Amino acid sequence: MRFEAFLVLTFFLGQNSAQGPPVNGPRAVDPGWFALQNARVVLKPGTVLEAASILVRNGLILDVLVGAAPNGAFVIDCTGMTIYAGFVEPFCPTDVPALDPATSDKHWSPMVQPQRSALDGAMVPLADRTALRNLGFTAAAIAASGGILKGTASLVQLDEPSDSAPTRIIRKGTYQLASLQTRSDGYPDSEMGAIALLRQTLLDGLWYERCQLAVAANPALSITAPQPSAALMAMVSQRQLPLWFDVQDELQALRALRIAAEFERSAVIVGSGMEFRRLAALAKGKTPIVVPLFVPEPPDVSTAAAIERVSLRQLQSWEQACSNSKRLLDAGVLIAWTTARPLVRKDFGKRVREAMACGLTADQVLAALTTAPAQLLGVQDMLGTIEKGKLANLTVMTGELFAEKTEVRDVYVGGIRHKVSDKKDAGLDGTWSWTDGWPGQASITAPVLTILGNKITTKVGEEECKSSGVVREPTTVECRLEGKALGVDQVYWLRAYREGDALAGTCIAPDGRSFALRAIRLPPPPAKPDEATPKDATKPPSQDPLPTPLGGYGTLSYPAAMEFVIQGATLWTSDDRGIISNGAVHVRDGRILFAGASKDLPKVSPDVLVIDATGKHVTPGIIDCHSHTGISRGVNESGQAVTAEVRVQDVIDPDDVNWYRQLAGGVTLVNQLHGSANAIGGQSSVVKVRYGVAHPDEMRMQDAPQGIKWALGENPRRANNNGQNQRYPNTRMGVAALLRDRLAAATTYREEHAAYERLKSSARTALLPLRTDLELQALTEVLADTRRIHCHSYRQDEIFMLCALAKEYGFKIGTFQHVLEGYKVADAIAASALGASAFSDWWGYKPEAYDAIPENGAIMHDAGVLVSFNSDSNEHARRLNTEAGKAVKYGKVAPAEALCFVTRNPALQLGIFSRTGSLTSGKDADLALWSDDPLSYAARCEATWVDGRLLFSLAADAAARAGIASERQRLIGKALALGKGHTAREGDKKDAYWAAEDLTLDYCCSSCEGGR
Amino acid sequence: MFATQARIAWLLLASTGYLFAQDLVPKSSPQANPVVLTNAVLHTMSGSVLVGGTLWFLDGVIRGVLAEGLKPDLPPRSEPIVIDLKGKHVFPGMISAHTTLGLVEISSVRQTVDTDELGEMSPEAFAAVAVNPDSAAIPVARSNGILAAGVFPIGGLMPGRASVMQLDGWTNKDLTVKANAGPIIAWPQQIVIDVSRWPLLRPDTGAENTKKARKSIDDAFTAAQAWLEAHTADPKVPLDIRHEALVQALRGEVPVFLLAEDLEQIESAVLWATGRKLRPVIVGGRAAGQCASLLRDRHVPVIIDGIHRLPQRDDSAYDESFTLPKRLFDQGVMFCIATGMDFSTDRNLPYHAATAAAFGLDREVAMLAVTLRAAEILSVSDRLGSLSVGKDATLFVADGHPFDLPTVIELAFVRGQKVDLRNKQTELAQKYRERYRQMSGR
Repeated sequence: MRFEAFLVLTFFLGQNSAQGPPVNGPRAVDPGWFALQNARVVLKPGTVLEAASILVRNGLILDVLVGAAPNGAFVIDCTGMTIYAGFVEPFCPTDVPALDPATSDKHWSPMVQPQRSALDGAMVPLADRTALRNLGFTAAAIAASGGILKGTASLVQLDEPSDSAPTRIIRKGTYQLASLQTRSDGYPDSEMGAIALLRQTLLDGLWYERCQLAVAANPALSITAPQPSAALMAMVSQRQLPLWFDVQDELQALRALRIAAEFERSAVIVGSGMEFRRLAALAKGKTPIVVPLFVPEPPDVSTAAAIERVSLRQLQSWEQACSNSKRLLDAGVLIAWTTARPLVRKDFGKRVREAMACGLTADQVLAALTTAPAQLLGVQDMLGTIEKGKLANLTVMTGELFAEKTEVRDVYVGGIRHKVSDKKDAGLDGTWSWTDGWPGQASITAPVLTILGNKITTKVGEEECKSSGVVREPTTVECRLEGKALGVDQVYWLRAYREGDALAGTCIAPDGRSFALRAIRLPPPPAKPDEATPKDATKPPSQDPLPTPLGGYGTLSYPAAMEFVIQGATLWTSDDRGIISNGAVHVRDGRILFAGASKDLPKVSPDVLVIDATGKHVTPGIIDCHSHTGISRGVNESGQAVTAEVRVQDVIDPDDVNWYRQLAGGVTLVNQLHGSANAIGGQSSVVKVRYGVAHPDEMRMQDAPQGIKWALGENPRRANNNGQNQRYPNTRMGVAALLRDRLAAATTYREEHAAYERLKSSARTALLPLRTDLELQALTEVLADTRRIHCHSYRQDEIFMLCALAKEYGFKIGTFQHVLEGYKVADAIAASALGASAFSDWWGYKPEAYDAIPENGAIMHDAGVLVSFNSDSNEHARRLNTEAGKAVKYGKVAPAEALCFVTRNPALQLGIFSRTGSLTSGKDADLALWSDDPLSYAARCEATWVDGRLLFSLAADAAARAGIASERQRLIGKALALGKGHTAREGDKKDAYWAAEDLTLDYCCSSCEGGR
Repeated sequence: MFATQARIAWLLLASTGYLFAQDLVPKSSPQANPVVLTNAVLHTMSGSVLVGGTLWFLDGVIRGVLAEGLKPDLPPRSEPIVIDLKGKHVFPGMISAHTTLGLVEISSVRQTVDTDELGEMSPEAFAAVAVNPDSAAIPVARSNGILAAGVFPIGGLMPGRASVMQLDGWTNKDLTVKANAGPIIAWPQQIVIDVSRWPLLRPDTGAENTKKARKSIDDAFTAAQAWLEAHTADPKVPLDIRHEALVQALRGEVPVFLLAEDLEQIESAVLWATGRKLRPVIVGGRAAGQCASLLRDRHVPVIIDGIHRLPQRDDSAYDESFTLPKRLFDQGVMFCIATGMDFSTDRNLPYHAATAAAFGLDREVAMLAVTLRAAEILSVSDRLGSLSVGKDATLFVADGHPFDLPTVIELAFVRGQKVDLRNKQTELAQKYRERYRQMSGR
């Protein structure tokens, strides 16, 4: 239907339109009927016709045939040319004005503007149109930039609109575009906040649609139905469109795919160029990826200081980026290419050749530029191949696609020719020696003329003459020659043209005499060997599988669960048995089969690995009940005081090398908490330290009870922020009031939803469907005791306050976190909370931390509170064993019990003690092996197993270090061989590596003092 | 021979008083009687460990450090207080070599933060005049055997001068061991400018700024030298207190403390300072292991600013900072170990050293790094750092090694005066334990 309309439109192309002005004078008739003759025609990837002609009429391909074109068509000779289907740019960001701020009909968040259309804006600016055409692109899908829900994209022709011929639209509303963009001045200022806002809006769209259906069935409901909303209406109308995600890095891509799956949308990822770093996870769902040929600049290796800063991961990302497309295709992912990311257009051809050097075939290149984007945009019936009936979008090249010397000659956009380049040399280039006609040739030496493009050099013998005023046309060249060596007159005007194999011309002397000249071509000088970059520097990188995560400590495959016995060690069981000397642990299939005295170990098959650990110690894997490790792009959604809807689980960063460092400190499980800037913060995430898994979701501890961060005191009051606080609450009174209000709201929400659920489906039709509110939904889980509050707290008054609130609403608090004055009100904590999770000995960093004491843990423990110690710091997390030791020092807690502060107790607080947290048979084999008493600073962690997989060992660490050293040396050498040039600097968004890098600072500074 | 009464009166002193927000412990009266510690394991740090040894002191100064069987040569008619340590350990007080202890009470409250004078160059500021002897943080550090500290102002290119303070006394005058331990220079790093965050800066501004900042430091020393020569020749040349603050450093009487972490930063700092005939001390020193021969050959010591730090780069060894002391030791560089510049965590000083010991450093050498080496680097080894005759009786008695967490510091003396080892935190613990005792009706 749409296609038919297009056909009619093109017929009158450039002559008429309903809105156009009347013609001033006789009309011009362009038959729009021509043939590209005698070309090599690549119909589609893999199918080539030699000496073929393409017949075009009215903007469409009329026919493709071998041989000459039939009469009637204007013939364009394409001898020596190769013709491809016009390239399609699937993602071209364009500026679209924001919605009128005065209108009331808009979403509360300026990040949500799905009602926008890319066609409302500037379309493709002229410079971009030209640049794209110069590369061979003929059509582009334009999409609004900015925001989380950005509106719809449309596919347009890349030709020049004029008054009478506006930009030609091929298809309106080809896809809905989303991103996980954040703001610096409001909600969402974190990636998890962006995900929450996107999910809530998608839910609201579905709800709005159900409301409309309900009203249609029962018009009486229209009185209470939601107000008309352009944004939600757009969400409804776009629900059938593919949802495209513009992502910053490969982890965002995985997050986007999770959202698409949740809402059953067909997704396409507009990638970062760094997809190869998470290849396996991304390839799994076979979601198509629009890949930018965006590669990092060579890292700066110019000085010793620069080398000190560059990481192996950066070097590897730089080297391997050109293999991205090849790796994705080999993994079975459909890819289309885009030029959207910065700096790429200029170097596009070079990038393509680099990708081809990695093994990409010419057919794969062509597909990524033609058939793939056409398919993703749903226009394979119109674009992508050269076929009868399709749009006459064609790219004429002088040779093989993107070969070094190949140029784009012409592109045809809907049947309209755009000249990209002229044939530069009509045989003029070369070195010419005058054989005949030079003035005074008998007595003086005639000059030798070298023409190279627009450059002319003239030599008489060894002496060079001045040549100026050069005018170079396709077939002629004109200049003025000056110099004593030229003889009597010393100045001549010269004009020359090709004639047969010779160069013919006219020379005019100052006195007006003219001479007819003739020259023959001298043989070209022998080509100089290529002295540019040494071969090694440009050699394509190895195509071998890459480690996960990319960097020094990743592995090619996630270690397998081992069967082994540790024998002779002192076991700190963290269960009723306390410490067992000369113990043994038998692990198989990721579980502890046996842990107890060596003498009681059942017989083990002789081929099982036995680790002699005489004199050593084994503990359960350490559990950190308060961590911010591995949370991408913002630990805290601080745009609002209540953010129960955001989830840390959405933004797990499996690449964070701190995971590895914590494994080296015996840590196997972590409670990832949201920050403390909000009275009600985001949902927390319990992960095992499965460093090296393919997908971040695999780190999550399945079936662990849900959690949520709350915060009391100075931080939610924003008391430690500079400047005036404008956000409620400003006092501890306000914190208490806000919490109570949200619990009241959640109670109402729960009751409404429960009542609705109880209704028969027939009764429900008489009602409007209920809206799902992600924030209140999470809070109803708190009320139902299915979501544990982990509450940042300092002073005794606020601890009491929350205990009272929990009593009023009848739920149990999970843990008080930090809980620096917990020792003052341990009885209340014991009564109202599952436990307390504290620092061992931090104090003094703010007023509410002034009464902190290192005996806090011990006193609470003695008063019956379940106590854990945590890190809240990437650095501290590596030393939780000795933090537990401080409970012995400062409170005389028995050693076996003190170790439980970082094993059993946090496991109980997180509700996972049935699975981990002690050396008990049947539990997950999460273990650490220590050289000495684990509570002592003399102890080094020698090995750490998670689920029976050896994820850290001193031997493997030593091997990794050796590997890092040699890889660094190789890559730095490769970067050096490229010589100077632009080098990537930290944070430069124009560099593919830094554009994909999460530059969020560590929550705590490196020495771990700071803003808790 | 022993005056029992005197001993009892002296020991009682410790239990008087109450404590709250500040150090409210009355100080013991000046030492009148010789104190003799017998049957001790003396970790002299300057020599061997003396098992069954005797140490005695008078007027705040160590008079005898004796091997088993030797009798102290007490003054005639003195009434010594003799304490039989029954095999317990005596160590010189540990020294937190790089801290803000006494200059800060609560980090987030500006009114209590006295570390950073205005301007890039403020060498006239020195810590000793502003250390609050009643800071609650001092007794907290003291309780774990930290009995002296190098207190450093921070901020700007030349934040001021460090002072060495003992950690007990009535006034900050009492506390001061060395008011001017040397000027501090935050040696500028070669900054990598993030062009996306600072779009108006040209990419090379970082290097230019570094050069400029380094030159301004050099200029300050040149100007001070010129002033010193003029002022010496003609005392009527007016006093310039900024120049005056650098005089001792110019004369080589005190070192200059150069804060530097990166390789280039350390190397250029050392070359600059030795070129000016100054006595550099590197503070920070993360990359010191990579230029060890330079440091060794030019006799430049390093204050390693914290062992419990994260590695520099993603691909650095996880134990990079844990093994730094061992690497420096093996290459002959002199160093001491500090906690990383936080006033509230000085009590963890021995644990930084203990971690270095777990990662390869000899345990004795690690202990030296928080005692004698710190005293030497801060130029106070004439008074502190070892159990040696003639030095201050600033020492503590413990039931084990301070690197071991369960070790209890049982007794401590600062310049011969007994230290009350309680602090705000022990008192709060006691107060609230009483609450639970009452609640349980016991």
